[in-house]
Amino acid sequence: MNIELKDLRFNYGKIVALAGVDLSLGEGACGLLGPNGAGKSTLLRILLGFLKPDRGEGRVLGYDIRRDPFAIRRLVGYMPEDDCLIPGMDAVTFTAYFGELSGMPRQEAMKRAHDVLFYVGLGEARYRSLETYSAGMKQRLKLAQALVHDPKLLFLDEPTSNLDPQGRTEVLDLIKDISSKKDISVLISSHILTDIEYTCTYVVILNQGKVAAQGDIEALKEIRFSLFEIKTKGESGSFLRALRDRGCKVEETEDQILKVYMPADMPRREIFEAAVRENVQIRMFLKSRTSLEDLFARTVGVD
Amino acid sequence: MTAVIRAEKLSKWYGNVLGLSDVSLEIGPGITGLLGPNGAGKSTLMKLLTGQLKPSIGRVTIHGADVWNNMALFADIGFCPEQDAFYDELTGWEFVTRLLSLYGFSRADAASKAERALHFVELFKDKDRPLRGYSRGMRQRLKIAQTVAHEPGILILDEPLNGLDPLSKRKVIRLIKDFRDAGKTVLVSSHVLPEIEALTRSIVLLHQGKILAQGDIPYIRDLIDKHPHKISVKGSDPRALAASLVAQAAVQNIQFGPEPGTVVFETGDRDVLFGLLPRLIVERGIDIEEITSPDDNLQAVFDYLVGT
Amino acid sequence: MPISEQGYSHWTGTFVERRLPWWPITRLGIRMAFKRKFFKFAFAISFLPAFIFAAGIYISERLEDFQFMLRGRRGSTSFLEVNPAYFKSYFGGDFLLFMMVMIMVLAGAGLIADDLKSNSLQLYFSRPIRKRDYILGKMSTLAFFLLLYTLVPGVLFILLKFLFAGSFKLVANYPWIPLAVLLDSLLLTLFFSFYTLLLSSLSRNRRYTAILLFLVYLFSDIFFGIFYGIFRKPGFCLLSIKANLQQVAAALFRVKPPFDVPWIYSLLILAAIGLACGAVLVRKTRGVEVIT
Repeated sequence: MNIELKDLRFNYGKIVALAGVDLSLGEGACGLLGPNGAGKSTLLRILLGFLKPDRGEGRVLGYDIRRDPFAIRRLVGYMPEDDCLIPGMDAVTFTAYFGELSGMPRQEAMKRAHDVLFYVGLGEARYRSLETYSAGMKQRLKLAQALVHDPKLLFLDEPTSNLDPQGRTEVLDLIKDISSKKDISVLISSHILTDIEYTCTYVVILNQGKVAAQGDIEALKEIRFSLFEIKTKGESGSFLRALRDRGCKVEETEDQILKVYMPADMPRREIFEAAVRENVQIRMFLKSRTSLEDLFARTVGVD
Repeated sequence: MTAVIRAEKLSKWYGNVLGLSDVSLEIGPGITGLLGPNGAGKSTLMKLLTGQLKPSIGRVTIHGADVWNNMALFADIGFCPEQDAFYDELTGWEFVTRLLSLYGFSRADAASKAERALHFVELFKDKDRPLRGYSRGMRQRLKIAQTVAHEPGILILDEPLNGLDPLSKRKVIRLIKDFRDAGKTVLVSSHVLPEIEALTRSIVLLHQGKILAQGDIPYIRDLIDKHPHKISVKGSDPRALAASLVAQAAVQNIQFGPEPGTVVFETGDRDVLFGLLPRLIVERGIDIEEITSPDDNLQAVFDYLVGT
Repeated sequence: MPISEQGYSHWTGTFVERRLPWWPITRLGIRMAFKRKFFKFAFAISFLPAFIFAAGIYISERLEDFQFMLRGRRGSTSFLEVNPAYFKSYFGGDFLLFMMVMIMVLAGAGLIADDLKSNSLQLYFSRPIRKRDYILGKMSTLAFFLLLYTLVPGVLFILLKFLFAGSFKLVANYPWIPLAVLLDSLLLTLFFSFYTLLLSSLSRNRRYTAILLFLVYLFSDIFFGIFYGIFRKPGFCLLSIKANLQQVAAALFRVKPPFDVPWIYSLLILAAIGLACGAVLVRKTRGVEVIT
């Protein structure tokens, strides 16, 4: 278990930020979701040791969050959401500096800084002053400083904010590479659900200071076994009639997607047989899943 | 489509730094998405369309009237900028009502409009708090409130969903769609392409100061010959399916995987392929789990056109 | 393996427990200081008093060679005597104190202000570093320069005197000089470090803090001048940072203080300022960790 939290509570004066968080996270990539004010940033700060919880217990990578914050910080990398780069330095100096502050010997930090900068794609630009960097490069440098000390766990706070579509793809692919191949676990806090779906297999939803839902994304999304989403081309009138005659319930959505609810005894093959008979193309065929967005809305209890 | 906003041969330079070069477009009622890499000229275009900048060459008209220096038109435009530019000492209420009074509304009018706008973005209960104490999401919602408070007919939104949590995003998407349904004109710019796709099929893609593509997303996708359409089929016997189709001239490429049981066909003629598919599935008795078009989306269009 | 693993690789080294965990911070501070415009210039000319006084020590031993300077003067030996007053002139010199403030402005105004502005504190504290390590690291950057102008020249003067005089007469006659050198260096170093560090943490804007650093020092002296001009009471020297420093320097070297005010007051005022700076500084960095 990477992170274990029991009944974590924290107040900023009278404002309740965390109202009893119980969490158990293993390895892999996990998304941290929640409405604004749900306690995500507070939770991250407590995990990093910036804040001490008012009540409750927690362990990160086996170390107690109250007693051993330094041991935790050695093993954890943090990529903050906002700008945090120190102007007047080049990328190598910057990365090596924070590597040293993490406890690496000076030469090791320097060697490692070069390696990590190549990995995140800043190899060519690593001697340039970082004021000349584009937004995408700055994000990657932030990621580099989080990786320089070879952490076992990475906290990423809105890693794709302010990036253009190319930058987003690059950073998301990096994150996916890190978490899927390199036995580094990742915890990503983000509001962009498509990013979470692309990179994470597990998700934790916070609401009003508590964990409202957690689990495997696939499991939580509840594949509804008999509900399919279909897109067709061609005269679909008779096709729809044929399906309804067979006992299916068919609905058409705003984007011309057909939601077909098949009776339990009907094999999928019959949809294609009907398509052949009615001369209709089937251009999309998918098991219907609740989207992460719907899951979020349902969990947070509004709408 | 009757054009509401029209740009004719628009060019803009800042000193010798290029902003836009020879951009002509028409935007009509409904939602149009504006996208492009950083530095492509999106903010420049938006500032030109809202009359904040004077074109170096060309003109911008709204309902036929030139936008530059045209005070009367501003009342009909709602602009939501990307940056945070607030007067921190004002409260939310003061901020919205004062901006409204600039449009010439009476005190009472401004108050009722402000109230409605703040209720919509769910900031009414925080209206008397100074902006300094607002969180990022709250500031974004306030920006949206001030954009719509004076009930404009045209909305120009630069990254409106930035910083909002998924539920607020939903609300704002709903608002934008309501605007569309009411016949208004909306231009939305965003870097998060799935969010644009949730709003519209009609886009303008800028690159290096010029229009790279414009129009309906599927239509644009069709025109990218260099990248034939991918069709992914997941089922019980992908190889049998591949074998039946390999002789077809319409099939340009066949790949297996990456997921088990999956075969991906590349074709320049989807009609032929989709025409054959159901019959082959039934004839070979293949049990199909999934049929998708993995690169038939905005991200693919962007990647193929802008490319690395 | 014929083809090496590409992409990310794990680090196989071990962490090191530094005796001074804040040493990289100091090193960076010094490096960044030298990158500042004009810093190299200020750094160089701040050594001017040291050079002059060192030359003076040489001259004082070789007065016969410099008879030309004494033409027409009586009491030649008193012209250039290396005694506690000599040391006090160096340590309390207007130019030196002014240059030290300039060095503080150039090297120190941005020490914390820049970190606040660039929001990099969250990167620092996500490392295993205590708040006090951070402050110590920043202070050591300042202490490095300050000691370079106080302790180092002070010790150098003593050694040079031994060298040129060929004897330990200096210490035999005035045994308190080495201790005074040490104490005054410490006083100047600690005072200016706290002062600079606190002012640097008051704003995100390096220019404001630079101006603040400079003006507070300057105005304290100006106010003294104004009030003294009006009321003619030496007690007003307690308003001036410079005057206070000179008072204490004089006391340490057992020389008559420039103003007729008990030097202990000056020391108390300096200590109070220093402690106040320290206290506010600690409170500021505590507040910083709870970032919105």
